[in-house]
Order: sequence, then structure tokens, then C-alpha cells
Amino acid sequence: MGLNRTIYIWLLTVLVSVSPAAHSAELAGAEDFRQHIRPILENYCFDCHAGGENKGKVAFDQFTNDQAMLENRDLWWHAFKNLRAGLMPPQKKPQPTAAEKLVVEAWIKQSVFNADPQNPDPGRVTIRRLNRAEYHNTIHDLLGVDYDTANAFPPDDTGGGFDDIGDVLTLPPMLLEKYVVAANQIVREAVPTVSKVMPEKLLVGREFLGGGVATTNRAGRPYPRALTLSYYKPAAVSNDFTADIAGKYQVDVSVMAIGKPLGDVSDSNRCRLIFGVDDAELLHNEYAGENGRPYHYHYEPDLTAGDHRLAFELQPLTPDQPPANALAMQIISVKISGPMAREHWVQPKDYKIYFPRKVPAAAAERRDYAREILAGFARRAFRRPPEAVTLDRLVKLAESVYQQPGKTFEAGVAQGMVAILSSPRFLFLDERVDPTNAPAGKFPYIDEFSLASRLSYLLWSSMPDEELLHLAETGRLRQNLKPQVARMLKDRRSEGFVKDFTGQWLRARDIETIPIDPRVVLKREGKSDPALDDNSMPSEIRTAMRQETEQCFDYVLRNDRSLLELLDADYTFLNGPLARHYGIPDVSGQKMRLVHLPADSPRGGILTQGTVLGVTSNPTRTSPVKRGLFILDNILGTPPPPPPPDIPPLEDAAKSIPGHTPSLRETLAAHRDSPLCSSCHSRMDPLGLALENFNAMGMWRDQEFNQTIDATGSLVTGESFTNIHEMKAILVKNHAQDFYTTLTEKLLTYALGRGLDYNDVETVDQIVARIETSDGRAQSLITGVIESAAFQRTRPAGGSEPVAPAKTRLRAEK
Amino acid sequence: MNDMSTNHSNLSGKKQSQRLAAARLNFSRRHFLRGMGACIALPALQSLLPARSLAALATSAAPGNLATTSTGAPLRTAFLYFPNGAIPSAWWPTGEEKDFQLNHTMQPLDPLREHIQIIGGLDHRNAMPGTDGAGDHARANGTFLTGVRVKKSATDIHAGISIDQAIAREVGHLTRLPSLELTCDAGRNTGSCDSGYACAYQYNMSWSSPTTPMTPEANPRQVFERLFGAGAPGERTLELKRRRAEERSILDFAMEDARDMQHRLDTHDRDKLDQYLTGVRELELRIQRTEKMGDPKDPARETPAGIPATYGEHIELMSDILLLAFQTDSTRVATLLLAHDGSNRSFAEIGIPEGHHDLSHHFGNEEKIKKIRDIDVWYVQQVARFLEKLRDTKDVDGNSLLHNSMILYGSGNADGNRHTHVNLPIILAGGGGGTLSPGRFVQQGAKPASNLFLSLADRMGLHDLPRFGDSTDRLANI
Repeated sequence: MGLNRTIYIWLLTVLVSVSPAAHSAELAGAEDFRQHIRPILENYCFDCHAGGENKGKVAFDQFTNDQAMLENRDLWWHAFKNLRAGLMPPQKKPQPTAAEKLVVEAWIKQSVFNADPQNPDPGRVTIRRLNRAEYHNTIHDLLGVDYDTANAFPPDDTGGGFDDIGDVLTLPPMLLEKYVVAANQIVREAVPTVSKVMPEKLLVGREFLGGGVATTNRAGRPYPRALTLSYYKPAAVSNDFTADIAGKYQVDVSVMAIGKPLGDVSDSNRCRLIFGVDDAELLHNEYAGENGRPYHYHYEPDLTAGDHRLAFELQPLTPDQPPANALAMQIISVKISGPMAREHWVQPKDYKIYFPRKVPAAAAERRDYAREILAGFARRAFRRPPEAVTLDRLVKLAESVYQQPGKTFEAGVAQGMVAILSSPRFLFLDERVDPTNAPAGKFPYIDEFSLASRLSYLLWSSMPDEELLHLAETGRLRQNLKPQVARMLKDRRSEGFVKDFTGQWLRARDIETIPIDPRVVLKREGKSDPALDDNSMPSEIRTAMRQETEQCFDYVLRNDRSLLELLDADYTFLNGPLARHYGIPDVSGQKMRLVHLPADSPRGGILTQGTVLGVTSNPTRTSPVKRGLFILDNILGTPPPPPPPDIPPLEDAAKSIPGHTPSLRETLAAHRDSPLCSSCHSRMDPLGLALENFNAMGMWRDQEFNQTIDATGSLVTGESFTNIHEMKAILVKNHAQDFYTTLTEKLLTYALGRGLDYNDVETVDQIVARIETSDGRAQSLITGVIESAAFQRTRPAGGSEPVAPAKTRLRAEK
Repeated sequence: MNDMSTNHSNLSGKKQSQRLAAARLNFSRRHFLRGMGACIALPALQSLLPARSLAALATSAAPGNLATTSTGAPLRTAFLYFPNGAIPSAWWPTGEEKDFQLNHTMQPLDPLREHIQIIGGLDHRNAMPGTDGAGDHARANGTFLTGVRVKKSATDIHAGISIDQAIAREVGHLTRLPSLELTCDAGRNTGSCDSGYACAYQYNMSWSSPTTPMTPEANPRQVFERLFGAGAPGERTLELKRRRAEERSILDFAMEDARDMQHRLDTHDRDKLDQYLTGVRELELRIQRTEKMGDPKDPARETPAGIPATYGEHIELMSDILLLAFQTDSTRVATLLLAHDGSNRSFAEIGIPEGHHDLSHHFGNEEKIKKIRDIDVWYVQQVARFLEKLRDTKDVDGNSLLHNSMILYGSGNADGNRHTHVNLPIILAGGGGGTLSPGRFVQQGAKPASNLFLSLADRMGLHDLPRFGDSTDRLANI
């Protein structure tokens, strides 16, 4: 591990130059194999993987001819990964030298994968639709509408751990139906369909002063700020309204009778609610208890120009009844519209955003104006200028609406916008090859509009903004990549990236919803905690945990710190409740902030964060196996093969321990004695057991069932540790490259929206080399991914195989 | 709308569920809306009978009696999935075909024994590991209604058409919605799914093609509004009409523009655009059908607020909506995934805080076996409640909805502890409009479950389906 690139390239050159001239690339690869590779394999691998032995169903001498050998890429990829991770040959067997390992790796990359370092295969991304998060953010940035996609759309399928993978993002008919419904709802909410409306002013409940309790009416979007008046207490609240012009006005009052049920007791209290403008009493009504019943009242008073007082009064009617159910009246809002006379009407809010000029009268001019508006909107929605034929259709559609009697021009344009949001050009990320910039002998670039979208959906989970679109239009995005990436990372929208990526890579999202039973978890330690004595972990702790993971990643990213701080750090992000949960003193308040940890603190780094510890546990106990698997999968990048079908019961293993009830550690140890299980569990278990001092809720513990927890162990690669501190140190010291590689693979998968295969090994290696050169700086990972061939280029349509196999060209040069 | 969600947000926690339980005792089942709109009542019968008269139905019945009973009533089929198998020793009845004793797990079905058929000996060999290794949960789920071996890949999904979709393809034109796909898995865990299989295999059981899973809907409100329109009772028909007009207005544009775009793409991308075009066509057909058949009767009930606080209420609400969909003849084909195979849901509400999947690997531990058995019983209780409601609801021909339905309840795992896929726990409820012989415990020997599907498809009027999945024959004696 850790040999640098120079040596690597040198080895490659040696390998190539010592080979005798060959008739074809294939033969050359095979010749290299016989001369250089087979002898190494014979020494270290053939005992188990040749001559009739095929442990793990791997045999290197199974091939009848050279071509079959070179084409079995799955076998070689498997071998490549195991060799690189130090898993093969097993530690107890003789080990190849570093140079021998590199020769084998280089040969596999060159002769089997056909990798060309000068022109790595960028692969091909399947056209993909926006996922729920991207759709939400895109609509927000496009129209300022906060559309609740989490409720309206079904969850997206994930593949390879992420929910932005084109191959698995399908579009069943039900979803298309939802897209059309959403497009209509969104445009209706955002785009005015008339040019003049009655002026209106909305006063939310909380703006009425003089009593009551300000409440958040969660269901009352978009006017959530209500005022709650109790049925049991007299109250009078008021607000002032200034009418600029005298005339008839509309007053719309929205209130809601609420009563939080307290047990089974019914509550027959009643109240009277009075509402009036100045001295005129408009509403005078009595109310019994209701659990959330809305009332809407409409009045049309004449108002003089000047100030008017709007006032509510609540009178309890049943002072002798016991208040059992917390009955109350919520003042949601009062809306005053007017004057009603049309000559006083005004342009709707946001009108100018969509309709910058007055609507012309002549048909041809109207058509041109519709075309202009729809072209501008389609350009942003499609993330590239619309084609003329599409635009023609849109204008025709708008026209067909606004030419109908009673329909406005604006309504017609709005219909065009609905069509735009229902179009596959909006719903799918439509990538194209750059026709103007095709370097000879290399894979073609994607065009700059595609690049703008790749960038914005990677770093913002949303659409490109005007600056990106403009650069793409003028063909200057690629040359301004660095400053643009820096700008995008500084933008608030990049929180979308942090949230989505950590949420999936580290499964930080899941902590909000996984089942945990605090009572049972604590009972194992003979403890109880009144603060946790409910059947679920409090949501404020869960949210703080998720934020801890997000903010640690965010901090490393924005300050361009070493990625290794994600594994081990002397700081983390906490608020009062989470610090208390972790047992860290002197942190109070709800706000999450950077906390420097005491020197002996086991916290710091993702492995000891509540998110990772929680999502890898069962609802009532820890699972060292799941934790170990998580680390192999997401940190070291060496997931073990799945368990075989007929797993011997763990209890069988336990039975082999006489005398006492074995601990989980002992049981797992006995399980590992079975040869069938040991190859994988000897990799997973020590990693997981090192975290046994953290319970299923991520809290520190010294014992379980009165047995002191033993967190010692050794990794399959040989290093021993006595506690979590030492294990983290080993990961940082000896496994940085594994970590960089894994993180690069995860980010590249997320950034491209496709699974990786052996063709991507070269790209990943090049990015990892960049990270290593920069001492692990976070932004070298980001720029490495963004500047990689896989992100910048594409395999042209129809080409299933890379063009110009690397090996042939190398040979030609010799 | 808004008031409903307020109610719902107030209704969480232990106290509320106790309160709900108390309320449950006080009201008759038909008295609906217990738990503040958490569940829909069974509406008064006559108000919801399909608009067409029975005679009209009988004469308009499609050739070959597609999805129609001999009396001319609609014939429906639904597939309900429960996860992680069931403890076999507590599942299987004892005794003879007609003279059988229900075992522990099926006790809640005792009042319905004349309406159910317990079928032993059905297998899904394609869910067995074969050369694919681990991943029994993904396969159990993915194979369950498809009968095929799903492709082991995290990103390159490939299953097969599922039986409900094979049926919907033929009979879907008879109703406003060709089929309905529901789930009670509200959330999903992120990250990778079972042992290298794409998550799509576990969270979907319905597939319209090998590469297109029919994503199920988890939010009762969304399903309800899709069926009956949004808004308050009485306003919905208008809202449905408006929605339809909006949808219709963009259809032509969407179709033409997508075709243009498709020309430029390569094969793989074209498949994706095909999904879009299929969706547009389906939407167009649905609009045409609805206009021909008329809007469904407004069920005159509050719209559900969203996903209820407890799992039990969620299942009840979803099955109530499914019943409404059948009753209003909005669809004749449905699937309901109670939870995906491998589900690790905690059953704290019945005193079992551990995860279901975690417990299911009990390795012979008596305490764990008991808990799993309790979970098995709990699931059976949910389906029993649904079946009772179907039994108590009268259909157009005077028979019960249950009589005119074929409801399959089962799991793709037999013994969750060992991940076996033979002798699957499968119950077939309902009379199939008189074509099934319920009230029996039938040992079919070792036969592919696909044989049963083929026989159900026959009854739905698909007489010429030669085979399905891994079927070897039709299943006789059902």
C-alpha cells in the first residue's frame, strides 16, 4: 500500500518493455501473463486456486485458452480487489512483495481491463429522472414553490447505495400521473393567471396583540402562525388596518376550534367568539369543544379611508365546568381584500417575474410575447435552450388556451409552463456529447449544459443557476471550472449535497426513523433513564445526531481539511441534549456547534457518532456484525461476500462453551471457529467488537449484563488494538488509502448516477492519487471527481466498449 | 384537509392508542372514522354500488367473461404479502381437507374458515439461492408474484412481469384504474439492500415488465385522492373532472415531445423514455375510460389525513381503501405489500420491541420463536379484519364482496429462520365468484406457486395464458 504513482508507472513501463513483440494485443497480454504474472501466482496463490483446488470458486488455471482468461474480467477484478485490500493471500500465508503486488495489479489493469491512464474509459450514464429531493429543490429554485415531494411522490428506488442511479430510477405510470398533477399544482401556486387582482393584506393570528398564546399551526400551511385563545379564560386581542381608499372591502376570518385530548374525559365547556371591525360586530357565535374544526367567515363591510381596528373577544360560557381537554380557539388569520371596485385593483404579487411587460393586444404580438416567456422558462426548466420545434408546440398550446373565450393570456402561458414541467426534458437529465470539442483519440466531452447540470445536481442537488447556464451558453464553463466549483461550494445550496451524500453514504438519514427501544437497551446495562423512558429515542436526539454527522462532513469539506478527520478527530459538533446523551460536559443549549473534545474522549470521527452506531444496531441491542460490515462496506471498501445459505446457528457455537452463559464476544468467537464462517467474520467481528463500548443508542457503557466490555482485537490485516482510540489510529495510519478509495468510489457513484465497474478502476486510482498528493484535503476529492474523465466525458452512444484499447497503443509506441 | 392533519398530529403516543382502543369497543365497526379519520368506515352499501346496473354489466361483460362472475358481477383479485415467513409449526393446520383444525397462528381466521383455503405445498424454487448465494429476502419478495429468478445486481434490475400485472394487462380496460399497488412500508432505509440485490426487488412486488416495477403507494391520502378526488365530500367529482381536464391538456404535447427526444437516444436510454411514453398512454386511456364509465361515487367520507401513527391503523386504512376501490369497481386487480421481506420493524405496540427480521433468525431460541409467532398472529389478525369487512359488504349481485374476490395472503419465505422457499405459507380467501372451493386445507404436494397464479389468471378470464413464471401446469383442486 501507499506506493506512489511514479513507481507504479515505472513498473508498467518495465512490464511492457520486457515483453517480446507480439502479434496482437491479446497475445501480448497472455505473453506477459506467462512470463511475469503466472510465476507470482504460482508462488502465492496456486496452493488454493489451481491444480484442482478452487477455494471460493476461484481457480487461475481453469482457462482453455488465452482469450478466455483475459476476458474473465469478473475473476480478475475480484482478484485485484482482494490483492489490493491485503485480503489475499491470507495473512498466515507467505506474502508477495510490494513490487510483485504492483506488477500483478498493473497487469490486470492494463491487459484485462484495457485501462488507459491517458484516456480512461468514462463509461456511460443512463438517462435518469430527477429523484424526490432533486425535484423538490429544482422546483424551489425554478418557481419558489416548496412542493412536498416526500408526501406526494413514492420513495425512489436505490441502487449501489444511492437514490440517484439512472438504471434503477424507474417511471411507472402512477408516477407520471403524479408528475402531471404536481406540474398543475405548482404552476397554479406560482404563476398568476390574471393581470389585476384585488389588493389584499393578510394578518396572521400572531399579529393580533393583547393576549393568547402564539402557536405554530403545523397543518395550517401556508399561514402557520396562529394565536391560541383558551376556552376557559376571557381574552381580547386586536390589530389595526389602514385603508388607503374608501370603499367596500372583503374580510375573511379563519379560526379553528381545537382541543387536545387528555385521556378519555370529555369536556363540555363552551365559549363565545366575537369579531368586529371598529364598532361593528360582525361575528358573534358560540362554540363547543372540537378537535380541529376550521371555521371560515366572509364579510363585506364598507370602510372609510384611514385606520380601522380589527378585534376578537373570547368569552368563557361555562366557568363552572372543569377544564378537561385544553379546549381553545385558534385565530388562524384575517384577510382584508379591497377596495372591491375594479379601478383600484393591482398587479398580483410576483406578476412581473413571469410577465415583465403589459400583454399586447394584437394576435401576432401576443404570440411573440408568449414565445419569449415560454422560451425563457423552458431554458431554465430544461437546463438548456429549448429546440424550436418544442417551442412551437408550447406556443401553440398556450394559444389554444388563451384564444378560448373567458381565458386570459396569462392562463395560456401558465398552461405552457405546466407542459414544460410535465416534459421528459424537465423530468430527465438529458445529457449530450459536445459536438464542437472532440479531441482526437480521446473520449468526447459532454456538452457544457450537461456539465452544468452534473455540477449543480452534484453540489446543490438542484438545477444550474443563471451563472452556470450563461457560462455554458457562451462555452466558457469548462475553462472556469475551478472558480465555479469554489463558488458553488460557498453557496448555501451546497447543504443539499452534504445532506444527501452523508445521508446515504453513512445512512445518517435513517437515524431519524429506525426503531430503537431505549428501555430494553438500557436494561442490558442495568440502567434506566427517565429522560429516555418512552418506547422510542427522542426525536431531538435523533435530529442532533444526523446534524452532527452532516456538520462534521461539512466542516471538513468547507475548510478543506484532511478527510482523515472523518475517521479520527479531536472535535465534533454537538448541542446540549446530544452532549448529555454522549456524557460530554459543559455543552448547553439547542444550537449545534463545534466542540473540542477532552483528550480521553472516545468521540470524534464518524465511527463513534450516534448515527453510525445507531443505524448499525438492532432495535434492542448492538450488532457487532452489522457494525463491522458497515465499516468494511463504507470505510475500507472491502465488503465480504454475503453469508452462505446454510448458516450454522450462533447458538450451536454457544453450546460449545461449557460452564457459563457466554457473552456475545465469546459466542462470536466460537462461531468464527467454524471454517465456513471464519473467512468473513474474522474481518467483520473485530471491527464491530471494538465499538461494543457504545450501546445501540450510541451511549458509552463499560459493561453489559454485568460483564466488563472487552474492546480489544486485531484486524485481518494483522494490527492489534486494545480500544477504540487505537483502532481509529490504525485506520488513519495504515488504511488511509483504502478509505480514500472507498470514499472516492462512493462519491463518484453519487456524482455520476451510475454504478461503477472495472472500467472505472483507473479513474478512481487517479483521483485517489490526487488526494494522497494533497495530504488528504477534502477539496482534492471534490475537484478530483469533477475533473475526472468519467465526470467530464462520455462513451458515445452505441459504443458499448471503450475506443482504442490502451494496450495496443502503448505497444505501438514501443 | 388541514384540520384533519392537525388531528392526526395530536394523535400520537401511548395515551392516544389506549384511547383509540377504548373507542374501538364503543363503536360498531360500521360507525367509521374512529381515531379521527384514521380509518375509513364502510359506507352505506347502496350509495356506493357501481353506477351501471347489474343487467348492463352482465350484457356488457367482455368476451370470455373477463374478470366477471357468472352472475355478471365484477371478479377481483388481490395479493397481500407479509414478510419473513411464519413459524411453520404454528402455521399449518392439522386434520383432513374439510375437517381441519386451525393452528395457533390462524386462530383469528376461525370465524372465516368457510371462506378460506389453506394451501400447502406451494414452492418458489426461483427464490432459492441456486448459484446466486445470499439474498433470500430480496428473492423472496422479487419472485413472489413473478415466479422468476431475479437478476442479482445492485443497479441492473431485471425481474419478470408479475401475475397481477399480467392479469391487469388483459382486464385493466374494464375499470378506471387497471390495477392498484399499495404498501404499508412508509419509510425506507437508505443504502444498499439485501446482499447485492437492488432495493427495487424488495420494495416492489408488482412488475409491469421485467425492468419496470410498479411502485406502490404508501400514503392513504394519496391513494384515496387518486381514486375519488381531492377535497371535501361532495367536491371531489368536480375536482376529478378538473384534474382530468388539466391532464388531458398536456397529453399531446408530452407525447410528441417525448417521441422527438427519444429519436436522439441510444437503446438503453430509449427504454427509460419508453416508460414515460407508456405512462402518457396509460393516462390517456384512463381519462377515456373514466369518461366512458363515469366518475366513481363519492364515498362521502373524510379524506384520510396521511399515514397513521400506528402500523395497525395504517394497514386497516389501506385495506379499507382497497375495499372501497373494489366496491366502487375502480379496479379489479390489486397488490398490498404489508412490509417488504427482511423488514426489521419493531412491534413495540404488542410488547415486542425487537426487530422482526432480527428475531426471525431465532436459531431455536424458544423465547424468540414465541415472539415471532405473536407477530405472525398479529399479521393474520390484520388480514382477518380485512376479510371480515369484505364478507360483510354486499356486491352488485347480492353476494358478498368476498364471494366475488380472490384474495391471496402469503409470504415468499416459508421458515424465516432458515430462509426456505418451499411449502410457502399461502392462504387463498374468497369464493372467486363461485369458482373456488374454500373452507378447506389442501395439500398440493410440491408444486410451483406459479401454477396457482395460472389458475387464478384462468378465473380472471385469461384462458389462453400458456404458462407463467416457472409454472409447470395449472393447479387443480382449488
